Amino acid sequence: MHILLVEDDSVLADGILRIFKGHGMVVDVVKNGNDADALLQRTEISAVVLDIGLPGIDGFEVIRRLRARGSQVPVLLLTARDSVQDRVYGLELGADDYLVKPFATQELVARVRALLRRSAPQPLEMHLGGLSLNTSSRRAKINGKAIDLSVREWAVLEYLLQQASRVVSRQQIIDAILPWGAELTLNAVEVYISRIRLKIADTGIEIRTIRGFGYMLEKTEP
Amino acid sequence: MSKPSIRIGLLKWLLVPLLVVNLAGAGLAYWLAWIPARTAFDQTRILMGLVWLEAGLALLLAVVVWLALGRGLLPLKKMTADLEARSDDDLSALDEQHVPLELSPVVQAINRLLDKVQQDAKAQQNFLANVAHQLRTPLAGFRTQLEWLLQKHAGEPESAHSIALMTSSTERMIRQTNQLLALARAEPAKFEKERLRVVELNRLVEESIQHFVEQADRKNIDIGFNLQPTRVMGDHFLLRDLIDNLVDNAIRYSPSNSKVTVSTLHGKDGGIFSVEDSGPGITPSEQELIFNRFRRLDDSVAGNGLGLAIVRDIAKDHGARISVESGVSAGTIFSVHFPFPILGMPSKLPA
Repeated sequence: MHILLVEDDSVLADGILRIFKGHGMVVDVVKNGNDADALLQRTEISAVVLDIGLPGIDGFEVIRRLRARGSQVPVLLLTARDSVQDRVYGLELGADDYLVKPFATQELVARVRALLRRSAPQPLEMHLGGLSLNTSSRRAKINGKAIDLSVREWAVLEYLLQQASRVVSRQQIIDAILPWGAELTLNAVEVYISRIRLKIADTGIEIRTIRGFGYMLEKTEP
Repeated sequence: MSKPSIRIGLLKWLLVPLLVVNLAGAGLAYWLAWIPARTAFDQTRILMGLVWLEAGLALLLAVVVWLALGRGLLPLKKMTADLEARSDDDLSALDEQHVPLELSPVVQAINRLLDKVQQDAKAQQNFLANVAHQLRTPLAGFRTQLEWLLQKHAGEPESAHSIALMTSSTERMIRQTNQLLALARAEPAKFEKERLRVVELNRLVEESIQHFVEQADRKNIDIGFNLQPTRVMGDHFLLRDLIDNLVDNAIRYSPSNSKVTVSTLHGKDGGIFSVEDSGPGITPSEQELIFNRFRRLDDSVAGNGLGLAIVRDIAKDHGARISVESGVSAGTIFSVHFPFPILGMPSKLPA
């Protein structure tokens, strides 16, 4: 996962660089729009984190040129200004997501991961606490011991694990696990969740209920 | 269009009485002069009569002048009443069309002053917004570095403690900065109605849910949602500020291990956003005061006293009404009632 970070504030760039590296990402940092534009033309990049206010050509222009070349690289815009025009303009130009400074780094990492998931193949193994899912063999293990999951249960758990520590709505779960057009009630989701809960009990992770909204898979407090 | 003039008006009123009184006085004097004065006594009587007559006529004239002046000054009175009836933040120009000629320069001078004050207020708001924006990048850098540091030193309790304290100070600075921006944005004098678009309130809440849940977790508060599809006419960013401020307040003022519930729903008069907390509750006498700037009910709770003032300004921008009720058991329910209907839009979304 090769990420290009375009940010002219050196303190922020340094901070994001460290955080990304801590998550096993390879990061290039450039401080102005022209360098970003040049680098994007010759290097294979998995995702771009792009500040709008840059010296030289601004973030909007970088993304406009990028899309004009036909590149599909996912782009997340960073901005200090949160006006509707900025946001709409950025998305119209072909940005995939938008984050207003100052953001929580968790949020940034989660969004970049989501962008990467859209464009790159899934990692084969996902872990949280004692749970691991192997997406090619479709096998779930808890502390090394295999557990049985139905197809739907697997899909729900896979989605929750992709979104670990993030609140997801019941509707999001349905949208994520169902092919287009298939029907599933909100109650059915509850049933799958309660079955999964029984299977992952006492493994250092839990599915929390967010009252009236959805769920969140997270590590239990040690 | 020619403007009415106070002078001409006065003249119209006074011309006839002045002529009448003067002619009458002169006529009387002329008539009296023809009466032969036989004795000194007669002379005195005639003189006295003349004096009384002149005094009476002068008095009559005074009354006419009084009335005429009162009428002439009516526009001034109206202007005063108009100015006094204005709200604190109304700096729009006075009507120059319908004032008398003589008042025109005054009105123009006042308007020039109002315009200047308005420009200054706008410049101040822009400056405030600009400063807040400028602060965001360094704050983002600071926060990111601190979060990295916290991960790295999670195993060392003393360092972790100190980093956690710095993080919470940074969070406070970030919040203050965002509040300043919200305040500058929400300023009713600055708000333009054209900015209103159809906004899905439930989606706005969903966008911030992660943040709300994390905030509630810190106090072990059970935060719940009842988000029905609800559309209102509004400004995306202002409404997000409104939602953030009300939920943030609810979490702040609720004790640990209590409940907060956030709802969006369609009332019979339009969309409603409401937040129920389990805080100490607000007495009716306090309910009027809480929306004032810098008013805080509990000094032990961190805050700047701007939250509800921002909420009030944003509600005002949207023509929305805020109600404050006591909760079912304890606590308070803040509700924002948005006006209905949304022009050209179905009132309800398909579920």
